[in-house]
Amino acid sequence: MLSSLPDKLVTRCQPWLGTFVEISVAQADMGAVEPAFRAIAHIHACMSFHSADSDLARLRSVRPGETVAVDEETVLVLRMAIALHDATEGLFDVAVGRALVRSRFLPREGITHLSRYTGTTADIEIIDDRHVRCKKRLLIDLGGIAKGHAVDRAVAALQAGGVRAGLVNAGGDLRAFGMRDWQVQLRDADDVVRHGLALRDCAMASSANLHDRRRVQGVQLSPHIGRDGAPSLVDHRVTVLAERCVIADAMTKVAMVDADLADRILATHNGYVLRPSMTREAA
Amino acid sequence: MSASRKSLLALVPVVLVAPPAHAATYLTVEQAQALMFPGETLTPAFRPLSNADVAAIRKASGVSPLSRQLKAWRSARGGWLIVDQVVGKHEFITFAVALDASGAVRSVEIMDYRESYGDQVRNPKWRAQFAGKRNGAALQLDKDIKNISGATLSCRHVIDGVKRLLATYAIVLAG
Repeated sequence: MLSSLPDKLVTRCQPWLGTFVEISVAQADMGAVEPAFRAIAHIHACMSFHSADSDLARLRSVRPGETVAVDEETVLVLRMAIALHDATEGLFDVAVGRALVRSRFLPREGITHLSRYTGTTADIEIIDDRHVRCKKRLLIDLGGIAKGHAVDRAVAALQAGGVRAGLVNAGGDLRAFGMRDWQVQLRDADDVVRHGLALRDCAMASSANLHDRRRVQGVQLSPHIGRDGAPSLVDHRVTVLAERCVIADAMTKVAMVDADLADRILATHNGYVLRPSMTREAA
Repeated sequence: MSASRKSLLALVPVVLVAPPAHAATYLTVEQAQALMFPGETLTPAFRPLSNADVAAIRKASGVSPLSRQLKAWRSARGGWLIVDQVVGKHEFITFAVALDASGAVRSVEIMDYRESYGDQVRNPKWRAQFAGKRNGAALQLDKDIKNISGATLSCRHVIDGVKRLLATYAIVLAG
Protein backbone atom coordinates (compact mmCIF):
# COMPACT_ATOMS: atom_id res chain seq x y z
CA MET A 1 0.00 0.00 0.00
CA LEU A 2 2.75 2.33 -0.90
CA SER A 3 0.37 4.86 -2.38
CA SER A 4 -1.26 5.40 1.02
CA LEU A 5 2.13 6.46 2.36
CA PRO A 6 3.28 9.15 0.00
CA ASP A 7 5.39 10.73 2.68
CA LYS A 8 9.13 10.88 2.12
CA LEU A 9 11.29 8.59 4.25
CA VAL A 10 13.88 9.95 6.59
CA THR A 11 16.59 8.04 8.42
CA ARG A 12 18.50 8.95 11.54
CA CYS A 13 21.59 7.18 12.76
CA GLN A 14 23.18 7.05 16.20
CA PRO A 15 26.01 4.98 17.67
CA TRP A 16 24.68 2.44 20.19
CA LEU A 17 25.47 -1.14 21.21
CA GLY A 18 28.87 -0.91 19.55
CA THR A 19 27.41 -0.27 16.13
CA PHE A 20 25.39 2.16 14.03
CA VAL A 21 21.65 2.15 14.63
CA GLU A 22 19.48 3.51 11.82
CA ILE A 23 15.80 4.29 12.20
CA SER A 24 13.77 5.04 9.06
CA VAL A 25 10.23 6.40 9.11
CA ALA A 26 8.05 8.73 7.07
CA GLN A 27 8.97 12.36 7.63
CA ALA A 28 5.65 13.01 9.35
CA ASP A 29 6.63 10.43 12.01
CA MET A 30 10.03 11.94 12.87
CA GLY A 31 8.80 12.90 16.34
CA ALA A 32 8.46 9.22 17.27
CA VAL A 33 12.10 8.45 16.51
CA GLU A 34 13.49 10.04 19.68
CA PRO A 35 11.65 7.66 22.08
CA ALA A 36 12.79 4.72 19.92
CA PHE A 37 16.44 5.78 20.27
CA ARG A 38 15.85 6.22 24.00
CA ALA A 39 14.63 2.61 24.22
CA ILE A 40 17.84 1.49 22.54
CA ALA A 41 19.99 3.69 24.77
CA HIS A 42 18.31 2.12 27.81
CA ILE A 43 19.17 -1.39 26.64
CA HIS A 44 22.72 -0.24 25.87
CA ALA A 45 23.08 1.07 29.43
CA CYS A 46 21.72 -2.14 31.02
CA MET A 47 23.52 -4.67 28.85
CA SER A 48 26.90 -3.18 27.97
CA PHE A 49 29.78 -5.55 28.71
CA HIS A 50 32.19 -2.60 28.85
CA SER A 51 30.39 -0.20 31.15
CA ALA A 52 31.24 -0.60 34.85
CA ASP A 53 27.67 0.22 36.00
CA SER A 54 25.69 -2.05 33.66
CA ASP A 55 23.63 -4.98 34.93
CA LEU A 56 26.20 -7.32 33.40
CA ALA A 57 29.05 -5.68 35.31
CA ARG A 58 27.09 -6.07 38.54
CA LEU A 59 26.22 -9.70 37.79
CA ARG A 60 29.89 -10.58 37.37
CA SER A 61 31.05 -8.67 40.44
CA VAL A 62 28.97 -10.54 43.05
CA ARG A 63 29.59 -13.89 44.71
CA PRO A 64 27.87 -16.97 43.26
CA GLY A 65 24.38 -17.37 44.65
CA GLU A 66 23.99 -13.71 45.53
CA THR A 67 20.77 -12.11 44.25
CA VAL A 68 21.23 -9.08 41.98
CA ALA A 69 18.54 -6.50 41.20
CA VAL A 70 18.55 -5.80 37.46
CA ASP A 71 16.39 -4.04 34.90
CA GLU A 72 13.29 -5.80 33.57
CA GLU A 73 14.75 -5.63 30.07
CA THR A 74 17.83 -7.56 31.22
CA VAL A 75 15.58 -10.24 32.73
CA LEU A 76 13.65 -10.50 29.44
CA VAL A 77 16.85 -11.02 27.46
CA LEU A 78 18.27 -13.50 29.97
CA ARG A 79 15.00 -15.48 29.91
CA MET A 80 15.24 -15.72 26.15
CA ALA A 81 18.93 -16.66 26.40
CA ILE A 82 18.10 -19.48 28.83
CA ALA A 83 15.31 -20.79 26.57
CA LEU A 84 17.64 -20.76 23.54
CA HIS A 85 20.48 -22.37 25.53
CA ASP A 86 18.04 -25.17 26.37
CA ALA A 87 16.66 -25.50 22.85
CA THR A 88 20.16 -25.67 21.34
CA GLU A 89 21.54 -28.04 23.99
CA GLY A 90 24.04 -25.45 25.09
CA LEU A 91 25.20 -24.22 21.68
CA PHE A 92 23.71 -20.77 22.23
CA ASP A 93 25.47 -19.63 25.40
CA VAL A 94 25.67 -16.06 26.69
CA ALA A 95 28.52 -17.11 29.00
CA VAL A 96 30.86 -16.53 26.04
CA GLY A 97 32.37 -13.57 27.88
CA ARG A 98 35.25 -15.65 29.19
CA ALA A 99 36.21 -16.97 25.74
CA LEU A 100 35.88 -13.50 24.19
CA VAL A 101 37.98 -11.81 26.89
CA ARG A 102 40.57 -14.55 26.52
CA SER A 103 40.71 -14.02 22.75
CA ARG A 104 40.70 -10.24 23.30
CA PHE A 105 37.46 -9.60 21.43
CA LEU A 106 36.24 -8.12 24.72
CA PRO A 107 38.27 -5.99 27.13
CA ARG A 108 39.70 -7.58 30.23
CA GLU A 109 39.47 -4.39 32.28
CA GLY A 110 38.61 -5.08 35.90
CA ILE A 111 38.29 -8.84 35.42
CA THR A 112 40.80 -10.86 37.39
CA HIS A 113 41.16 -14.65 37.55
CA LEU A 114 39.45 -15.35 34.25
CA SER A 115 39.64 -19.10 34.87
CA ARG A 116 37.23 -18.74 37.81
CA TYR A 117 34.33 -17.85 35.49
CA THR A 118 33.28 -21.41 34.73
CA GLY A 119 29.49 -21.04 34.61
CA THR A 120 27.25 -21.43 31.55
CA THR A 121 23.83 -19.98 30.73
CA ALA A 122 22.34 -22.94 32.66
CA ASP A 123 23.77 -21.42 35.85
CA ILE A 124 21.66 -18.27 35.46
CA GLU A 125 18.58 -18.36 37.66
CA ILE A 126 15.74 -15.90 37.12
CA ILE A 127 14.11 -15.16 40.47
CA ASP A 128 11.47 -12.71 39.27
CA ASP A 129 11.02 -9.94 36.70
CA ARG A 130 13.73 -7.83 38.36
CA HIS A 131 16.06 -10.26 40.13
CA VAL A 132 18.65 -12.73 38.95
CA ARG A 133 21.30 -14.89 40.55
CA CYS A 134 24.09 -16.97 39.12
CA LYS A 135 24.88 -20.33 40.68
CA LYS A 136 28.47 -20.16 39.44
CA ARG A 137 30.70 -17.30 38.40
CA LEU A 138 30.19 -16.52 34.75
CA LEU A 139 30.99 -13.73 32.32
CA ILE A 140 27.78 -12.91 30.50
CA ASP A 141 28.09 -11.19 27.15
CA LEU A 142 24.81 -10.33 25.41
CA GLY A 143 26.49 -9.24 22.17
CA GLY A 144 24.72 -12.07 20.36
CA ILE A 145 21.18 -11.17 21.38
CA ALA A 146 20.87 -7.65 22.88
CA LYS A 147 20.98 -5.82 19.54
CA GLY A 148 18.04 -7.87 18.31
CA HIS A 149 16.09 -7.18 21.48
CA ALA A 150 16.91 -3.47 21.22
CA VAL A 151 15.56 -3.44 17.65
CA ASP A 152 12.31 -5.06 18.83
CA ARG A 153 12.01 -2.50 21.63
CA ALA A 154 12.61 0.39 19.23
CA VAL A 155 9.93 -0.98 16.90
CA ALA A 156 7.51 -1.19 19.85
CA ALA A 157 8.33 2.42 20.78
CA LEU A 158 7.69 3.58 17.20
CA GLN A 159 4.39 1.70 17.08
CA ALA A 160 3.37 3.14 20.45
CA GLY A 161 4.09 6.56 18.94
CA GLY A 162 1.59 5.90 16.17
CA VAL A 163 4.09 5.07 13.41
CA ARG A 164 2.49 2.78 10.84
CA ALA A 165 5.60 1.71 8.96
CA GLY A 166 9.31 1.87 9.69
CA LEU A 167 12.61 0.09 9.78
CA VAL A 168 15.16 -0.21 12.58
CA ASN A 169 18.63 -1.49 11.67
CA ALA A 170 21.21 -2.07 14.41
CA GLY A 171 24.34 -2.85 12.44
CA GLY A 172 22.66 -5.44 10.23
CA ASP A 173 20.15 -6.79 12.75
CA LEU A 174 16.99 -5.20 11.47
CA ARG A 175 13.22 -5.28 11.57
CA ALA A 176 10.68 -3.78 9.22
CA PHE A 177 7.08 -3.20 10.21
CA GLY A 178 3.98 -1.95 8.46
CA MET A 179 2.57 -2.39 4.99
CA ARG A 180 5.58 -1.35 3.03
CA ASP A 181 8.46 -3.10 1.31
CA TRP A 182 12.00 -2.22 2.36
CA GLN A 183 14.94 -2.89 0.11
CA VAL A 184 17.71 -4.57 2.06
CA GLN A 185 21.14 -5.39 0.68
CA LEU A 186 23.10 -8.33 1.97
CA ARG A 187 26.77 -7.68 2.56
CA ASP A 188 28.69 -10.94 2.12
CA ALA A 189 31.52 -12.02 4.40
CA ASP A 190 34.08 -10.56 1.94
CA ASP A 191 32.34 -7.15 2.26
CA VAL A 192 30.82 -7.30 -1.24
CA VAL A 193 27.08 -6.79 -1.77
CA ARG A 194 25.79 -9.37 -4.26
CA HIS A 195 22.16 -9.85 -3.29
CA GLY A 196 19.30 -7.81 -2.03
CA LEU A 197 15.72 -8.43 -1.16
CA ALA A 198 12.54 -6.67 -0.24
CA LEU A 199 11.42 -7.16 3.35
CA ARG A 200 7.96 -6.56 4.71
CA ASP A 201 6.89 -6.85 8.32
CA CYS A 202 9.66 -9.15 9.55
CA ALA A 203 13.10 -9.20 11.11
CA MET A 204 16.42 -10.21 9.61
CA ALA A 205 19.88 -10.61 11.09
CA SER A 206 23.21 -11.46 9.52
CA SER A 207 26.57 -12.46 10.88
CA ALA A 208 29.97 -13.03 9.35
CA ASN A 209 33.47 -13.18 10.76
CA LEU A 210 35.79 -13.63 7.76
CA HIS A 211 37.25 -10.16 8.36
CA ASP A 212 36.96 -10.23 12.14
CA ARG A 213 39.49 -12.76 13.32
CA ARG A 214 42.56 -12.86 15.45
CA ARG A 215 45.47 -15.23 15.56
CA VAL A 216 46.62 -16.04 19.07
CA GLN A 217 49.56 -18.44 19.43
CA GLY A 218 48.99 -19.74 15.93
CA VAL A 219 45.28 -20.43 16.48
CA GLN A 220 42.62 -18.56 14.50
CA LEU A 221 39.89 -17.08 16.70
CA SER A 222 36.61 -15.35 15.90
CA PRO A 223 34.07 -13.46 18.02
CA HIS A 224 31.60 -16.33 17.53
CA ILE A 225 31.87 -19.42 19.69
CA GLY A 226 30.55 -22.80 18.60
CA ARG A 227 30.28 -26.18 20.27
CA ASP A 228 32.65 -26.99 23.13
CA GLY A 229 34.01 -23.46 23.13
CA ALA A 230 35.63 -23.78 19.71
CA PRO A 231 35.59 -20.59 17.61
CA SER A 232 33.14 -20.59 14.68
CA LEU A 233 35.22 -19.88 11.60
CA VAL A 234 32.66 -19.42 8.85
CA ASP A 235 33.80 -17.92 5.56
CA HIS A 236 30.33 -16.89 4.39
CA ARG A 237 27.55 -14.63 5.60
CA VAL A 238 24.78 -16.25 7.63
CA THR A 239 21.35 -14.58 7.38
CA VAL A 240 18.26 -15.47 9.37
CA LEU A 241 14.67 -14.23 9.08
CA ALA A 242 12.13 -14.31 11.88
CA GLU A 243 9.16 -12.40 13.23
CA ARG A 244 11.20 -10.87 16.04
CA CYS A 245 14.71 -9.52 15.75
CA VAL A 246 15.86 -11.00 19.07
CA ILE A 247 15.31 -14.48 17.61
CA ALA A 248 16.90 -13.62 14.27
CA ASP A 249 19.96 -12.13 16.01
CA ALA A 250 20.49 -15.10 18.35
CA MET A 251 19.86 -17.68 15.66
CA THR A 252 22.61 -16.35 13.36
CA LYS A 253 25.15 -17.67 15.89
CA VAL A 254 23.43 -21.07 15.96
CA ALA A 255 23.07 -21.16 12.16
CA MET A 256 26.81 -20.55 11.76
CA VAL A 257 27.40 -23.91 13.42
CA ASP A 258 24.25 -25.88 12.65
CA ALA A 259 21.79 -24.38 10.17
CA ASP A 260 19.38 -27.33 10.45
CA LEU A 261 19.13 -26.92 14.22
CA ALA A 262 18.56 -23.17 13.74
CA ASP A 263 15.80 -23.92 11.22
CA ARG A 264 14.06 -26.32 13.62
CA ILE A 265 13.99 -23.65 16.33
CA LEU A 266 13.08 -20.89 13.90
CA ALA A 267 10.10 -22.93 12.66
CA THR A 268 8.42 -22.15 16.00
CA HIS A 269 9.13 -18.42 15.54
CA ASN A 270 7.86 -18.10 11.98
CA GLY A 271 11.41 -17.87 10.69
CA TYR A 272 14.14 -19.67 8.75
CA VAL A 273 17.76 -19.53 7.69
CA LEU A 274 18.22 -17.86 4.30
CA ARG A 275 20.03 -20.53 2.30
CA PRO A 276 22.23 -19.83 -0.72
CA SER A 277 19.82 -21.90 -2.84
CA MET A 278 17.02 -19.42 -2.10
CA THR A 279 19.06 -16.59 -3.54
CA ARG A 280 20.09 -18.62 -6.55
CA GLU A 281 16.46 -19.36 -7.40
CA ALA A 282 15.95 -15.76 -8.30
CA ALA A 283 19.23 -15.20 -10.11
CA MET B 1 7.06 -24.28 1.81
CA SER B 2 4.58 -23.40 4.55
CA ALA B 3 2.28 -20.41 4.37
CA SER B 4 4.18 -18.62 7.11
CA ARG B 5 7.49 -19.12 5.36
CA LYS B 6 5.95 -17.84 2.17
CA SER B 7 4.79 -14.67 3.85
CA LEU B 8 8.30 -13.87 5.05
CA LEU B 9 9.57 -14.74 1.60
CA ALA B 10 7.29 -12.25 -0.11
CA LEU B 11 10.79 -11.05 -0.72
CA VAL B 12 12.29 -12.89 -3.62
CA PRO B 13 16.00 -12.23 -3.50
CA VAL B 14 17.42 -10.46 -6.49
CA VAL B 15 20.96 -10.17 -7.69
CA LEU B 16 22.36 -6.68 -7.52
CA VAL B 17 25.23 -4.98 -9.19
CA ALA B 18 27.62 -4.33 -6.32
CA PRO B 19 27.77 -0.64 -5.50
CA PRO B 20 31.29 0.74 -5.02
CA ALA B 21 30.62 1.48 -1.38
CA HIS B 22 27.98 2.20 1.17
CA ALA B 23 27.22 5.90 1.42
CA ALA B 24 24.49 7.58 3.40
CA THR B 25 23.57 11.14 4.26
CA TYR B 26 21.38 11.37 7.33
CA LEU B 27 21.48 15.02 8.35
CA THR B 28 22.80 18.28 7.00
CA VAL B 29 24.38 20.74 9.44
CA GLU B 30 21.12 22.73 9.50
CA GLN B 31 19.06 19.62 10.22
CA ALA B 32 21.44 18.52 12.98
CA GLN B 33 21.15 21.96 14.56
CA ALA B 34 17.37 21.94 14.49
CA LEU B 35 17.18 18.39 15.82
CA MET B 36 19.77 18.64 18.58
CA PHE B 37 18.96 22.18 19.78
CA PRO B 38 15.28 22.58 18.93
CA GLY B 39 14.11 26.15 19.14
CA GLU B 40 17.50 27.44 20.25
CA THR B 41 19.64 29.98 18.45
CA LEU B 42 23.11 28.73 17.65
CA THR B 43 26.00 31.12 17.12
CA PRO B 44 29.00 29.93 15.12
CA ALA B 45 32.14 29.81 17.24
CA PHE B 46 34.59 28.24 14.82
CA ARG B 47 38.19 28.46 15.84
CA PRO B 48 41.55 27.13 14.71
CA LEU B 49 43.35 24.64 16.94
CA SER B 50 46.92 25.61 17.80
CA ASN B 51 49.79 23.13 17.91
CA ALA B 52 49.55 23.25 21.70
CA ASP B 53 45.77 22.51 21.55
CA VAL B 54 46.33 19.54 19.26
CA ALA B 55 49.08 18.15 21.52
CA ALA B 56 46.91 18.60 24.63
CA ILE B 57 43.87 16.97 22.95
CA ARG B 58 45.99 14.03 21.84
CA LYS B 59 47.43 13.66 25.32
CA ALA B 60 44.01 13.81 27.01
CA SER B 61 42.08 11.56 24.60
CA GLY B 62 44.71 9.44 22.89
CA VAL B 63 43.36 10.58 19.51
CA SER B 64 44.63 13.34 17.23
CA PRO B 65 42.16 15.81 15.71
CA LEU B 66 41.78 15.33 11.95
CA SER B 67 41.07 18.97 11.26
CA ARG B 68 42.80 22.09 12.58
CA GLN B 69 39.48 23.96 12.35
CA LEU B 70 37.05 23.30 15.21
CA LYS B 71 33.47 23.55 13.91
CA ALA B 72 31.52 24.53 17.00
CA TRP B 73 28.33 26.49 17.66
CA ARG B 74 27.27 27.93 20.99
CA SER B 75 23.63 27.72 22.01
CA ALA B 76 21.86 30.59 23.74
CA ARG B 77 21.58 28.42 26.87
CA GLY B 78 25.29 27.66 27.04
CA GLY B 79 25.32 24.30 25.23
CA TRP B 80 27.60 23.43 22.34
CA LEU B 81 27.16 21.72 19.01
CA ILE B 82 30.34 20.33 17.45
CA VAL B 83 30.51 18.81 13.97
CA ASP B 84 33.53 16.70 13.21
CA GLN B 85 34.79 13.73 11.21
CA VAL B 86 36.46 10.43 11.95
CA VAL B 87 38.19 8.07 9.58
CA GLY B 88 37.91 4.40 10.36
CA LYS B 89 39.54 1.47 8.65
CA HIS B 90 37.18 1.71 5.71
CA GLU B 91 34.98 4.72 6.30
CA PHE B 92 34.66 8.49 6.67
CA ILE B 93 32.05 9.52 9.14
CA THR B 94 30.76 13.02 9.83
CA PHE B 95 29.05 13.25 13.19
CA ALA B 96 27.57 15.88 15.50
CA VAL B 97 27.85 16.01 19.27
CA ALA B 98 25.56 18.14 21.43
CA LEU B 99 26.98 19.11 24.82
CA ASP B 100 24.95 20.71 27.59
CA ALA B 101 26.14 23.79 29.45
CA SER B 102 28.17 21.60 31.84
CA GLY B 103 29.97 19.90 28.96
CA ALA B 104 28.15 16.56 29.27
CA VAL B 105 27.15 14.72 26.10
CA ARG B 106 23.46 15.24 25.38
CA SER B 107 23.26 13.43 22.05
CA VAL B 108 25.35 12.10 19.20
CA GLU B 109 24.04 11.94 15.63
CA ILE B 110 25.75 10.44 12.61
CA MET B 111 25.42 13.01 9.79
CA ASP B 112 26.97 11.08 6.99
CA TYR B 113 28.74 7.85 6.37
CA ARG B 114 31.01 7.02 3.48
CA GLU B 115 32.45 3.61 3.26
CA SER B 116 35.49 3.22 1.08
CA TYR B 117 38.13 0.71 0.29
CA GLY B 118 41.81 1.48 -0.18
CA ASP B 119 42.56 3.11 -3.48
CA GLN B 120 39.00 4.30 -4.04
CA VAL B 121 39.61 7.04 -1.52
CA ARG B 122 42.44 8.48 -3.55
CA ASN B 123 40.67 8.06 -6.88
CA PRO B 124 39.26 11.48 -7.91
CA LYS B 125 36.54 9.87 -10.05
CA TRP B 126 35.30 7.88 -7.11
CA ARG B 127 35.35 10.94 -4.88
CA ALA B 128 33.58 13.04 -7.49
CA GLN B 129 30.38 11.01 -7.13
CA PHE B 130 29.93 12.57 -3.71
CA ALA B 131 30.67 16.13 -4.79
CA GLY B 132 27.91 18.55 -3.92
CA LYS B 133 26.17 16.04 -1.68
CA ARG B 134 27.53 17.40 1.55
CA ASN B 135 26.38 20.64 3.08
CA GLY B 136 22.93 21.82 2.21
CA ALA B 137 22.13 18.97 -0.16
CA ALA B 138 18.51 17.95 0.09
CA LEU B 139 17.94 14.63 1.78
CA GLN B 140 17.21 12.00 -0.82
CA LEU B 141 16.97 9.20 1.60
CA ASP B 142 15.04 6.80 -0.55
CA LYS B 143 18.00 6.90 -2.89
CA ASP B 144 20.81 7.53 -0.45
CA ILE B 145 20.09 5.21 2.41
CA LYS B 146 20.76 1.56 1.75
CA ASN B 147 19.58 -0.83 4.40
CA ILE B 148 22.37 -3.33 4.80
CA SER B 149 22.54 -6.60 6.66
CA GLY B 150 25.93 -8.27 7.05
CA ALA B 151 28.77 -8.48 9.53
CA THR B 152 28.24 -5.87 12.25
CA LEU B 153 30.16 -2.66 11.67
CA SER B 154 31.94 -1.24 14.68
CA CYS B 155 31.25 2.33 15.78
CA ARG B 156 34.46 2.41 17.83
CA HIS B 157 35.99 5.24 15.79
CA VAL B 158 32.97 7.45 16.45
CA ILE B 159 33.13 6.70 20.19
CA ASP B 160 36.84 7.62 20.12
CA GLY B 161 35.88 10.77 18.21
CA VAL B 162 33.34 11.74 20.90
CA LYS B 163 36.03 11.27 23.59
CA ARG B 164 38.36 13.47 21.56
CA LEU B 165 35.67 16.19 21.32
CA LEU B 166 35.12 16.04 25.08
CA ALA B 167 38.85 16.68 25.51
CA THR B 168 38.63 19.44 22.91
CA TYR B 169 35.77 21.03 24.83
CA ALA B 170 37.71 20.92 28.10
CA ILE B 171 40.88 22.34 26.54
CA VAL B 172 39.52 24.83 24.02
CA LEU B 173 35.88 25.74 24.72
CA ALA B 174 35.23 25.47 28.47
CA GLY B 175 35.80 28.39 30.77
